[in-house]
Amino acid sequence: MNAETNLSGHNKKLTMTTEQSPKVFRLGESAVVIDCTNFFPEVSRLTIQRKIWWLAERCRQTDDFIDIVPGMNNLTLFMKSTNRINYWLAQLGDFWLQAKQMNLSGRNVEIPIVYGGEFGPDLEQVARYHQLSCEEVIRRHSSGSYTVLFLGFQPGFPYLDGLDSNLFTPRLSVPRISIPAGSVGIGGNQTGIYPASAPGGWQLIGRTNMPLFTPQSPGSPTLVTPGDTVQFIPVASLEFDAE
Amino acid sequence: MTKINSIQVLKPGMHSSVQDLGCTGYRHLGVTTGGALDRHALILANRLLGNSDSSAGIELTSGSVELKFNCDIWFVVTGARYQISIGQRDIWCNWRNKIKAGETLTLRGPKSGMRAYLALEGGIIGGVENGMPDTDSPLGSRFSGVLGAVLKDGDRLALGQAGTISKPIGAVPRGYSNEIRALPGPEMSLFSTESKKSFWNTSWQLTNESNRMGARLSGTSLSLLQQQDMESHAVMPGTIQVPPSGQPIVLLADSQTTGGYPKIATVIEADLWKLAQTRPGEEIRFIHVSPNQADDANYEWEQYFYRLQRAIEANG
Repeated sequence: MNAETNLSGHNKKLTMTTEQSPKVFRLGESAVVIDCTNFFPEVSRLTIQRKIWWLAERCRQTDDFIDIVPGMNNLTLFMKSTNRINYWLAQLGDFWLQAKQMNLSGRNVEIPIVYGGEFGPDLEQVARYHQLSCEEVIRRHSSGSYTVLFLGFQPGFPYLDGLDSNLFTPRLSVPRISIPAGSVGIGGNQTGIYPASAPGGWQLIGRTNMPLFTPQSPGSPTLVTPGDTVQFIPVASLEFDAE
Repeated sequence: MTKINSIQVLKPGMHSSVQDLGCTGYRHLGVTTGGALDRHALILANRLLGNSDSSAGIELTSGSVELKFNCDIWFVVTGARYQISIGQRDIWCNWRNKIKAGETLTLRGPKSGMRAYLALEGGIIGGVENGMPDTDSPLGSRFSGVLGAVLKDGDRLALGQAGTISKPIGAVPRGYSNEIRALPGPEMSLFSTESKKSFWNTSWQLTNESNRMGARLSGTSLSLLQQQDMESHAVMPGTIQVPPSGQPIVLLADSQTTGGYPKIATVIEADLWKLAQTRPGEEIRFIHVSPNQADDANYEWEQYFYRLQRAIEANG
């Protein structure tokens, strides 16, 4: 299969570049970090992240951690006890060499978005910045398929891979004090959805009414998890809760 | 039906909130640890009452708080020094005291320090109106009900089963100093030599924008040797990050779980409480320590609580 050939090709690159190895270091008293950001851009973020997912899974099989937190091409392990710090500082590099491309069995999640107008106050500005029509910005943004690399920042906030490079837009010079929950924005090379209202500097192009974080849910408390793909579906209107 | 022990909020004060020791295990979902900013003060109060360390109490930040009790119960106030009274009767901090049904507890402050902790026998287990939290779903209970919520006029808080305390007992709290011990952070080497020196050798003023998410500091502007973009990585309470403004922020219990600013240092766990007890306008200094010294500092806290436990058992 084509995709597989591609993946193993990347894999070879990851292991063969001997002068490049991940950085492993201690963070504070009781955390250990493995940082693989230096493999980018020779290797894609998603390819690196698939190995990060593998490492996270490997670490979950031990009882050494209170939290296992993937970041963008890095992984932080919060230790139960500092006694095991030296073991993991020594061991993580070896685990990285064993790490495989992990294909999490992701779901495809469709998220309806009302683009522009009061729900996307920066859509016109983004279009002007790229000398595109608003319709073209919507078309490009909603035709992408985005992979959830990890969750962070706020409960349920997905870091998405796959924004069309023609839509990379600088953050606002003065961040907004409050952005409504469900707002969809672009900040630099990233696009994402704010699960809860928060201050923020992203350019807002639309809004969804789909909750990204439901802590009382008997199933997964987050709408998406790493490995899922997200598709934005443009819709004319949605019902929003009164603020 | 047995009557539920409860308290009613007559005056909520400023930013008073119900806090326990927070929870871990959900940071990969973006859920921060939360909990009391001065954990040691809450543990001290709970120990004096025979509660479990993680029982929920009230974190007071400032202003005047009045609470009416529907039950006879023991309580303790630790942390920042507050003026505490029941009617005309003055109450000492760091001692357990008994209040009677129908009486009102008044707390005004802080006179020194920043955050006080009111613990109650049995601990706060939920809101009277919105029911008890679902203990089978720790994440659900954290985001519903009273935990972490800011107190409002008229709130009624339900208390757990009271114990068998018969006499007052007090403790000597550990002294505050504005010297906060820290370990160098992973991006320390990216800062200019001048900035590294300034970080350790100059004092930092806590600003008004500080809150439960972070202690924002003001002082010499810190700069990187060369500007560079960083990828998002996990952060935690104690992480000192430096945004482009050059003014450091010490992340606290309600901080975000991941961030993209360079991390110049990490406050050691044993000293994080000092940031909770520093007021806006006051100055702090960072003291460079090794991981071994950080372990020693944690051991000192263990010893403190061990001695306390022995004294409570001997006098309980």
